[in-house]
Amino acid sequence: MIEGHDLELFERSIRQATERHTGAALDAALIELGWQDALAVDRRAAVSVLFALQGSANVTSSALATVVAAGLGLESPAEHGVILPGLGSWAPPAELAGDQLTVGGLGAADLDRRETVLVVAKDPGASGTTLAVTVERSALAVGPVGGLDPALAIAEVSGNGIPFRPIAGEATRGWPEAVALAQMAVAHELIGAARTMLELARDHANNRIQFGQPIGKFQAVRHRLAEALVAIEAADGVLDAAWDIPSPELAAAAKALAGRGARTTARHCQQVLAGIGFTAEHPFHRYFRRILVLDQLFGSARSLTDDLGTRLLASRQLPALLTL
Amino acid sequence: MASSRDDVMELDSFRKGVDHWLDEQEDALAPDHPGLGTLDQQMAQLAKVKRLGYEAGWVRWGWPERVGGLGGSPILRAYLGEALTARDVVEPGVYSMTEVLAPTMIGFARPELAASLVPRLLRGDETWCQGFSEPGTGSNLASLTCRATRTDDGWRVSGQKVWTSYAQYAARCVLLTRTGSQESAHRGITALFIDMDSPGITVRPLQTMHGVDEFSEVFYDDVAVPFERTLGEVDKGWSVAMDLLPYERSTSLWHKGAYLHRKLEHLLAAVPAGALSPAEVGEVVQILYAFRARSRATQYRMAAGDPLGPETSVDKVLVATAEQAVFDLAAAGLAGEVVLGDDGASRRWRSEFLYSRAATIYGGSAEIQRNIIARRILDLGDDR
Repeated sequence: MIEGHDLELFERSIRQATERHTGAALDAALIELGWQDALAVDRRAAVSVLFALQGSANVTSSALATVVAAGLGLESPAEHGVILPGLGSWAPPAELAGDQLTVGGLGAADLDRRETVLVVAKDPGASGTTLAVTVERSALAVGPVGGLDPALAIAEVSGNGIPFRPIAGEATRGWPEAVALAQMAVAHELIGAARTMLELARDHANNRIQFGQPIGKFQAVRHRLAEALVAIEAADGVLDAAWDIPSPELAAAAKALAGRGARTTARHCQQVLAGIGFTAEHPFHRYFRRILVLDQLFGSARSLTDDLGTRLLASRQLPALLTL
Repeated sequence: MASSRDDVMELDSFRKGVDHWLDEQEDALAPDHPGLGTLDQQMAQLAKVKRLGYEAGWVRWGWPERVGGLGGSPILRAYLGEALTARDVVEPGVYSMTEVLAPTMIGFARPELAASLVPRLLRGDETWCQGFSEPGTGSNLASLTCRATRTDDGWRVSGQKVWTSYAQYAARCVLLTRTGSQESAHRGITALFIDMDSPGITVRPLQTMHGVDEFSEVFYDDVAVPFERTLGEVDKGWSVAMDLLPYERSTSLWHKGAYLHRKLEHLLAAVPAGALSPAEVGEVVQILYAFRARSRATQYRMAAGDPLGPETSVDKVLVATAEQAVFDLAAAGLAGEVVLGDDGASRRWRSEFLYSRAATIYGGSAEIQRNIIARRILDLGDDR
C-alpha cells in the first residue's frame, strides 16, 4: 500500500509529469517515476492518481493499455499495445473461430509505437470464455487517425484471419476484471477532466463582470455550477465505493455516472464560459472533445445504463450493493 | 443476546446481532396494521419498535452513556435504522427524528436535562419536534420572529411556527426564538427546549396532499419556559441550528436511502412486463447508487469524528433527486395503481409518490442547497 507521506510524494511526482509531458514523453516519465511498479503494489493509488491527473491536465499516455493488461493478469503489462473494445462497447474486441482471428476494435495513439499488440477474443467454441493473444501490429488495418479528439488519436482497428500467438496462463479468464479496472480508470480520467472544466468555469464566473458585478453573483450561474459539482461528486462517490467494495456492477455504474456527469458538467460550464468557451483559443474545447471520446470507451453512459436496466428488468431483483 | 456496556461493539458483530434480533422478533416487531397505516398507527408502531429495541439494547448503541446509551460509533445507529427501514418495520421519516433532535440535546442542553430526557426519546416514551420555520420565515431562517421575552422567573414565548412535523404527537419541542432585535438576524436567536403541554400552546395539523397530516401550525401565546430550558447560550441559537443541520443530512439520509432501495425492489417485483424501458430503470438505479455511495462515505466520516459541513448539501441534493426519480419511475411503471387503484398497496404508492414531491422543498430547499454549494464549496462569493 502507498499511504500517507509516500502517497503525497507519489501524487506530486505524477502531477509534475502530467503538467509537463504528454504522449510518448509522458510514458517515458511514468517509467522513470516507477508508475508501473506502483500499479503492481497498489492498484488503487496508481490508477486513481494517474488517471485523475491525466484527465485534469488533458494529456495522453498508454497507461490504459497497461491497466487492461494488468487486469488480465499479465506479468509485464506494459509490454504490448492493447486493442480496446469498439465505441460504446465492453465486449472483447475480437472473435476466434477455429484458427481464424477476426479483430474489430479501437487503438490508441501508442499503437504506432508498438510491435506487438494484445487482443482479447471471444471463443464461440466455449461459451463465455475469452482468450488473450498477441498479434503483430503490422498485420492490423488501422483507420484514419483523428476524429473529434485528434490529440487522443483513437482509431478503428480491424483484421481478418490474422496470425496470433496465445498467451499462456490465467490471462484467458480475466476479461471482466480487465473491463472493471479499465472502466474505473476511464471514470477517474472523466472526473479529472470534469473537475478542470468546472474550475475553468468557476474562475470565469468570478472574474467576468457584467451589470457591474461578477456573473458568479447571479443565481442562474451559481446553480449551474452547483449542479455540475453534484454530478461530479455523484460519480466520484460510486467510484470510491467501487474501490472499497470491488464489484463489476459498481465499476460499470461509476463509468456510466462519470460519462453522464462529465457531459452535464460540460453543458453547464460551456454555458457559463459562453463566447470565450466556444473559441479554440480557450482550453475548454479540448476537455469537451476528450470527455465525449472517453465516454465511449469500455461502455458509454448510454449503453451501460441500458444494460443495467435490461438485467434488472429480467431478474426483477435489486442487488444489495453499498452496504455499510 | 444481552448487550454489554463494556464491549466496544464493532459494526460486524452489531450487524449480526441486529439481524438475528430482527429475525427472532419478526412477529413482535411487525406493524399491527396492513400497509402504510394511518399516522396514528405509524406513531404507535414507532413507539413499540423503539421500546423493544431499547429493552434489547440495540437502540442504545451509538449514543453516549450519559444519556442512556451504550456508547460506540454512530455508524451503529446508521445500520440499525437501515435494517429497520429495509424490513418495512418503521417509516424512515418518523424514525429519524431522533437522529436530528438527540444530538442537539447532547450538544447543547444542561447535562442533567439531557440525561433525564434523552432516554425517553430513545425508548419511545416520547416524541419530540423541531420548531424552526414560521409563516414569514422559510428559507430565510435568520428572519424568524417568534419572540422569547426575559422575565424574572423565565422566558415568555409568543409567536407562530409552521411545518412542525409530528407536533400533535410531541411532548417536547426544540424551538428557535427571537431574543434580540429583529435586525440582529442570526445573532439574536435563542434555542429553547419546551414542554408541548405548557399552557398557551395550540397545535393545528395541516392537511397535506398525500393524506398524511404530519405537519402542523403551532401557536405560542405567552408560554412560560424556565431559564434552565435554554439550549446553548442566549442569542447563540443560530449555532444550535447550524449544528443540527448536518445531522439532518447524515444518519437520517442513510435511512432514507435504505427506504428508497426497498421501494425500488418492490417496484421491480410489481411492475408489469414492458411498462418501463431498460434505460429509465438503469438511470434511476444509478442515481440511487450515487446517493448511497455518497451517504455511505458520510457515515464513515461522521464515525471517524470528522466535522460535517456544507459538503452534506451534496448528499441532500442527491437524496432528493433519488427520491423523486424512484417515485417518478413508480408512477410510470405502476400507473394503474398510482392513478386509479383503491386497494391498500395502490393507496400507499400514491401517497408515497405525492410525498416525494416535497423532497426538494423540506429541510432546506433544493435551491438553498445549491446556494450553499455555490457559496461555501465553489467559493463563488456572497450572493447578495
